[in-house]
Amino acid sequence: MGTVLLSVLTLALAVFALTQRRLLWGVIGVGVHSLALAGVYLFLAAPDVALTEAAIGFGLVTFVYLLALRRTGRLVVAASEAYPILYQEGERIVGLEWEILSRFGRSLHRDVEVLWVPRSEIPRLLASAEVDLAAGGFLPRDGEAALLSSPLVPTRLVTVRTGEGPLGAVAGDRGQDHLPPDAPTYEDHEALVRALARGEIGGAVVDLLRARQWFLAGHLRDAEMTPVEDSLAFRFAVAASETETYAALERFLHDFSATGELARSLEEHLS
Amino acid sequence: MKWASGMAILALVLLVAAGTWSLFPRPDVPPWEEETAAWGAKNAVAAIVLGARLWDTLFEVLVYAMAMVGVRLALRPLRRTEPQAPLPETPLLRRAADVLLGPIVVFAIYLAASGHLGPGGGFPAGALLGSGLLLLALAKGADRLGGELHEPILERGEYGAIVALLAAGLGVLFLGWVGGGLFVGLNLLIALEVAIGAWVVLHHFASSRGEV
Repeated sequence: MGTVLLSVLTLALAVFALTQRRLLWGVIGVGVHSLALAGVYLFLAAPDVALTEAAIGFGLVTFVYLLALRRTGRLVVAASEAYPILYQEGERIVGLEWEILSRFGRSLHRDVEVLWVPRSEIPRLLASAEVDLAAGGFLPRDGEAALLSSPLVPTRLVTVRTGEGPLGAVAGDRGQDHLPPDAPTYEDHEALVRALARGEIGGAVVDLLRARQWFLAGHLRDAEMTPVEDSLAFRFAVAASETETYAALERFLHDFSATGELARSLEEHLS
Repeated sequence: MKWASGMAILALVLLVAAGTWSLFPRPDVPPWEEETAAWGAKNAVAAIVLGARLWDTLFEVLVYAMAMVGVRLALRPLRRTEPQAPLPETPLLRRAADVLLGPIVVFAIYLAASGHLGPGGGFPAGALLGSGLLLLALAKGADRLGGELHEPILERGEYGAIVALLAAGLGVLFLGWVGGGLFVGLNLLIALEVAIGAWVVLHHFASSRGEV
């Protein structure tokens, strides 16, 4: 009787493992399946085989799968916050790029994990493949070795000037290209706008989206805006070693814009 | 596709049911107690694996060793050079490793040493030891454990175990060695071999591509 019950359990666990959409649950299912199989062997009077099955099937094989999952099961995204395309709302991550990323992750059966990092960290993280993607108002700079996706949100670089003094930018951002090398730089846009409010710098070179956000927040009451660089676009950057992810992302983005979803999302998030 | 997989699952269920309800004819087992005792063992499996089919076992161990050498050679060019950031250790895992490691090692040695008397033997014992090392690797980080375990010593132990096993095989063939003591020795050597092999494979996989 025990054999029959355990055999049925083994089959059920095998079906469970095969039908899971999340790989982690599938691996756990396979592990428990091995344990039930060891029970079957035990009931069939083969304790030697049961011991080996438990140690190898449940221990080593599960571990090797988990090891592989660590590299492939997650889609790690390095991002800086950029309202309204990728930002945190309490514990949740929301925004246009998040909508795309979470759907893209689901299509690859990978969980998306966002690491919030300063913009200057992103090239190093991409080059060492510690992250798969970069997002969050990402404007590519020259000399950054990464695969760039098709454009998502068109934007431009502007200079906002609120008073006398040097112009500042976010360290590692594209705005830095338009400033002398000794210009003051800040870790993120938060720090930049605070310095601007304190009068530490006379202005900043930022993208239009951030400038709009600052304007709406009331930081730039009588600022003077001059365009610096036109026809830019926020994109995703993919680590140079992740060519397969890049190809999949391009296909996904192509479908996403072909079905009109992209236009609808842009409308929803940006207007 | 759905239909085919449904049929496959149904066939599998029927097969397992037929097997478990003893619908298949069972072979007649000859009186195995005396045969087993003649090899100096109580466990019929040990008498077969280390007695009647000793050469199968020895060459199986050789195949295993070859696989390890292959993993070493093939993964060497892929090895990471820069040190990886250690993962945050969870106290739960470390405590579990502290508590469980001793019993795991003792049980593995017991399995190897008593393999001729009851269920057990070198292969399960080695797999258990390997799992114990794996637990330690998860708690400590594979690279740190790899540094503490001194790979050259492990390598020497592994090749030494193979040489000793082959020598014991020659002893059985030419000098007619037989008995429980021989089985204990063989099982312990096989356990050592399998445990080191499991560790080497896991460590190379972990340090070449993934993280632990």
